Amino acid sequence: MLELYHWEPNGSWLKPLIALHEKGLDFRSHYFDALSLERYGPGFLQASRETQLNLEGEGPVLCHDGHQVTESLFIAEYLEDAFPASPLRPEEPLGQAQILALARFINEVFMPAANTLGCHVYLAPQLKGRDLTSLEVLLEKIPLPFLQEQWRLALTDRYSDELIEDSKRKILLAVRRFEATLSSSPWLVGSAYSLADIDAFSICNSLPTLVPDLVSDVTAPRLMEWLTRIRMRPAVRAALAMSRTGKPELAFAPGPEHSRWG
Amino acid sequence: MLTIYHWEPNANSGKPMLAAFEKGVEFESRYIDMLSFEQHAPAYLQVNPNGTIPGMVHDGVLVPESTVMMEYIDASFAGPPLRPSDPFERWRMRWWCRFFDQFVGPSISMFGWSFFVGPAVRQRDPQELKARIEQIPLKERRIAWSKAIYGTFSPEEMAESGRRIALGVQHLEAALTERPWVAGDSYSIADISGFNMFAGLPLMNPQVANDSVTPHLMEWLRKINERPATRKLLPLGRTDLMRRYGHLERKRS
Repeated sequence: MLELYHWEPNGSWLKPLIALHEKGLDFRSHYFDALSLERYGPGFLQASRETQLNLEGEGPVLCHDGHQVTESLFIAEYLEDAFPASPLRPEEPLGQAQILALARFINEVFMPAANTLGCHVYLAPQLKGRDLTSLEVLLEKIPLPFLQEQWRLALTDRYSDELIEDSKRKILLAVRRFEATLSSSPWLVGSAYSLADIDAFSICNSLPTLVPDLVSDVTAPRLMEWLTRIRMRPAVRAALAMSRTGKPELAFAPGPEHSRWG
Repeated sequence: MLTIYHWEPNANSGKPMLAAFEKGVEFESRYIDMLSFEQHAPAYLQVNPNGTIPGMVHDGVLVPESTVMMEYIDASFAGPPLRPSDPFERWRMRWWCRFFDQFVGPSISMFGWSFFVGPAVRQRDPQELKARIEQIPLKERRIAWSKAIYGTFSPEEMAESGRRIALGVQHLEAALTERPWVAGDSYSIADISGFNMFAGLPLMNPQVANDSVTPHLMEWLRKINERPATRKLLPLGRTDLMRRYGHLERKRS
């Protein structure tokens, strides 16, 4: 039995939802509200060591055969390894390597940047007026200190101009990279739709709303076409339809940190 | 034909080479002298435009990222498998590789750069160093290099790195108490990655990694140090950085 703990179908939560639907796998959905920090309270999944130290922060957790599997792209890779039918990975090692290398760039550069802006624009306003003292009790239970700090940053909305600018720079870096690849190929790795497209799409889907100045038909036409092509896939529609707010692209919560090397 | 461009056979440079030795895959070793900034010189930028090492080229194609190079080597060549066949253990291998690469690794590097790389290059001509830094293609690497060269890692940054190393070591020790290898019952690229990252730690941060506080980690390092593949890796070093592996030799009683 596959069970997925997730919030709105955006970012890290969207990735495994698309992969599950693309592969036609039956699963039980456990929707949680990241804003309530319920996963740090009683009654939630008893987190394994790896789940506690999950660098993706509030990201999804897949439960299968008594195991917990975390990190959105690695959940999708796990599904490929455990259920090889309807493959979403090329067979040749180079294509597989390119998916993993792109995932590293997304994890370390692109996703932290998109997440910083998303938390600043959408999460921080929703947290205004929350009772800090009661939230602090839950925050203390987060084992990774940088994640506690990211929550406090959202609660106080003290994002520096420097961090916002650096995040925009990184988003632009990613957008240019995707735009360049898509100018010579319909998909990001190899000649077919793959986990690389699912990985990048899950983060890109919110960009035309979040940073319309950086991602539009004018600035990134091929990326916009690629987004439309992916949104039309039945599996992606099914994943996005699991939204309870009707606006999944506005759902952000603290996630992977910016690289400390600069 | 497989070519690996590398500096000293530890940290990221050691990863693809140790994987190749474990698989019995022959490769051409091209030593890039990082302390002379050969990785940012035009000859190497033709191979890898990002100017990062290691670089790996297989039949004319560049394979990116040291951890990914190991997956690629395992998937492309015959020889003993370096990735568990069980899907959960394979996931756990990837999870720990990421935890090493993105959480513990940068912190250990900060210590290594601050105590070894920085002092080793600092006596050069300041004008030359400035020009060298400006030559670096990636902004993140430019910042890291200037911090290492000018010794400007802040005390807060170093303290945070120290906390992260301690947290990483504590959880790795706990994991190795539960199972012989990082991912499970078999030696995998997560162990190769971990060894290349932690081998020098008992010397660099002896209060964090030692026989009384982290006995399982120490035994794991010694076991890997004794593997025939590791014995082939270490002679590829040219600086005295590699002499430190002597601390992992078992004392004869």
